[in-house]
Amino acid sequence: MVFFVGEEQPIMQMEIANQMQAEEALRDRERELSLLVDMVPSHLWRLTPEGEPTFFNRRMTDFLGLDVPDTDKPGMSRLDVLISTVLHPQDAVEFGETLRNSLATGVPFSLKYRLRRTDGLYRWMSSRAEPLRDHTGRIVQWYGLCHDIDDLVTAQEALHDRERELSLLVDMVPSNLWRLTPQGETTLVNKRMADFLGMDLDDTQQLAVVFDTIFHPDDAGEVEAVLGSCLRTGERFSMKYRLRRSDGVYRWMSGRAEPLRDEDGNIVQWFGLCHDIDDQMHAEDALRRAYDKLAQATQAASLAELSASIAHEVNQPLAAIVANSHACYRWLSATPPNVERAKITAERITRDANSAADVVSRVRALFRRTPHARSPEDVNRLTSEVCQLMVDEAAAKNVRIRTELAPDLPSVALDRVQIQQVLVNLIRNGVEAIEAADDSQHVLQILSCFDGPDAVRIEVRDDGTGFKDAERVFEPFFTTKPHGMGMGLAICRSIIESHGGRLWMANNEMRGATVAFKLPLAASETP
Amino acid sequence: MNPRDEIVFVVDDDARVREALGELLESLGWRTETFAAATDYVACRKPDLPACLILDVELPDVNGLEFQKQLSSDAHPPIVFITGHGDIPSSVRAIQGGAVDFLAKPVGEVDLIAAVRAAIRRDREQRTTRAELAELMRRLSQLTPREREVLPLVVSGLLNKQAAAELGISEITLEIHRSKIMHKMEAASLADLVRIAEKLRIPVTHSRRSGSSRECTTRSL
Repeated sequence: MVFFVGEEQPIMQMEIANQMQAEEALRDRERELSLLVDMVPSHLWRLTPEGEPTFFNRRMTDFLGLDVPDTDKPGMSRLDVLISTVLHPQDAVEFGETLRNSLATGVPFSLKYRLRRTDGLYRWMSSRAEPLRDHTGRIVQWYGLCHDIDDLVTAQEALHDRERELSLLVDMVPSNLWRLTPQGETTLVNKRMADFLGMDLDDTQQLAVVFDTIFHPDDAGEVEAVLGSCLRTGERFSMKYRLRRSDGVYRWMSGRAEPLRDEDGNIVQWFGLCHDIDDQMHAEDALRRAYDKLAQATQAASLAELSASIAHEVNQPLAAIVANSHACYRWLSATPPNVERAKITAERITRDANSAADVVSRVRALFRRTPHARSPEDVNRLTSEVCQLMVDEAAAKNVRIRTELAPDLPSVALDRVQIQQVLVNLIRNGVEAIEAADDSQHVLQILSCFDGPDAVRIEVRDDGTGFKDAERVFEPFFTTKPHGMGMGLAICRSIIESHGGRLWMANNEMRGATVAFKLPLAASETP
Repeated sequence: MNPRDEIVFVVDDDARVREALGELLESLGWRTETFAAATDYVACRKPDLPACLILDVELPDVNGLEFQKQLSSDAHPPIVFITGHGDIPSSVRAIQGGAVDFLAKPVGEVDLIAAVRAAIRRDREQRTTRAELAELMRRLSQLTPREREVLPLVVSGLLNKQAAAELGISEITLEIHRSKIMHKMEAASLADLVRIAEKLRIPVTHSRRSGSSRECTTRSL
């Protein structure tokens, strides 16, 4: 827009234009700022030095559902109106005090509190305000910023609850929990475990050395070795041991631990638990003892039954053989001889004799057990156990069992069940031999000792009638007893020989007989 | 006596023993039939011949001694027991139950022959007794009801007069009944009729002697 009115005219016009331009730019900036103030995702507010609100940004008015003029109420300051309407009743006092303190002292204001949203819900806010001062240092305005931290607070609270719950769980779970550093230092035990051990949970010094004192002396060494090895290798820990309860009683525990690793596979912590299996262990013990007793009783009975069954198995083909041979003879002696039928019967004789031989080899196979049934056993303990089992039976027949067991005998690899059978049988034989002798008090002696450097020997010595024919006693079906089947000693000998040992008997110099067997220390297998 | 007219039954669960005993008995001339179980023996139709039953004590379906007990109510061949492991109480029980013998396996030929022969002899006797009894029963069945009333009185030894009085009939009528009884029962004499009545176990209801002795006893009291 140019007017030709002299030299100044265009300049004036230019100034006006510049001024308008500047004003325009200023308005733009102001609009921009106002937009910024309204759009920033936080509440902005301004107070007078006395604390009276003079400005809320758009976000804030939207949140509260009210603007500065709405806080005008007769007889009340705007601030008081604000506090009483939008602050959570539990936070109102603290808010008022903190803010007034800042107003009075000029200290920046900072507080978390709950603010009521327009829909009536309170939300957690984090709020800060600082004063603006003029060049004399006088406070001109307070500017505040407040943003919604409700989601954060809620999440934190949930986290807190969870933590509390977890810690409750750790304490309430009916098991003892513990945590170790990778070096094996205890850093935590749960309340239950602390109660069990009678220790103070807060005493960290006691905690660090707790594992040094709580194990049964018999278990401590092994636990230390196993746990130490696990800590080194990272293998999971699992074993049974006894822990000392606060009252000094040791109880069996089953303990397990596993390492927690970081992303690189380094062990960060060890978490362990152990639970009380003491009652269970005792129950198992009792059960095992009962089972052992039963097994022994069964073995004692089964030898007699086995003998009877073998005798029957052999007797049937023998009966057939005898009848067939008579028949064969008759057919041949007839006039004219009936050769055809004689042949048939002769074939049957062969067949049945083989079948009897089969029985015998089956019996042999029965006592040729697989080697894995053999385990190292303390011969003395085995002998004592059998003696204990037999003591009543012997006492009923006026026989006392006396043992003389050599100390320090090494263990021998043997089939426990079979050797028990042998001992039961030898003791029973001895007792019966004595019983047959006469009626006074007798002693059955049982000895164990070394037989050379690499065998042990067990002797069963009776003072009965002795044997008339020492070698024949091992023949199957040979018996000197009125009710015996005569299989006992033959079976005993097969058992001992299958162990690579030897069984023999001899009459004593004075009276009675001794049956002895030896077992090699190095288990040799004979087919 | 031809053994082919005699039969031996063998009950044993062991096929070899059964077969061998059968063979031996056959070679000795007897007819034999063998069974694996007591029930098979019971189910089988048996020829009408003097027989012997050889029975194993240890049978799968029923113990031999139990089976003996079950058989005892009927007419059956005499039993010879065989056993793998005989004990004294079992053998005593068997013999008391009427067994002929109780043999241990393996059974010797001599013992077997002796036992089977004894059993068959006993069966012949039993069969004769049974046949006789059947004949007497047949004769008894021919008597009229009145004659059956008269028979016990006659064999009790009552005089005709006493028997007639007992039945309330005349002495003549009684004599007619009595002669018909003698004829039908094929009795040669009164003594013969008494023996027949004994075999038929006809109860002696009126004893003249015992009646008088009772009176004597009463008086003496």
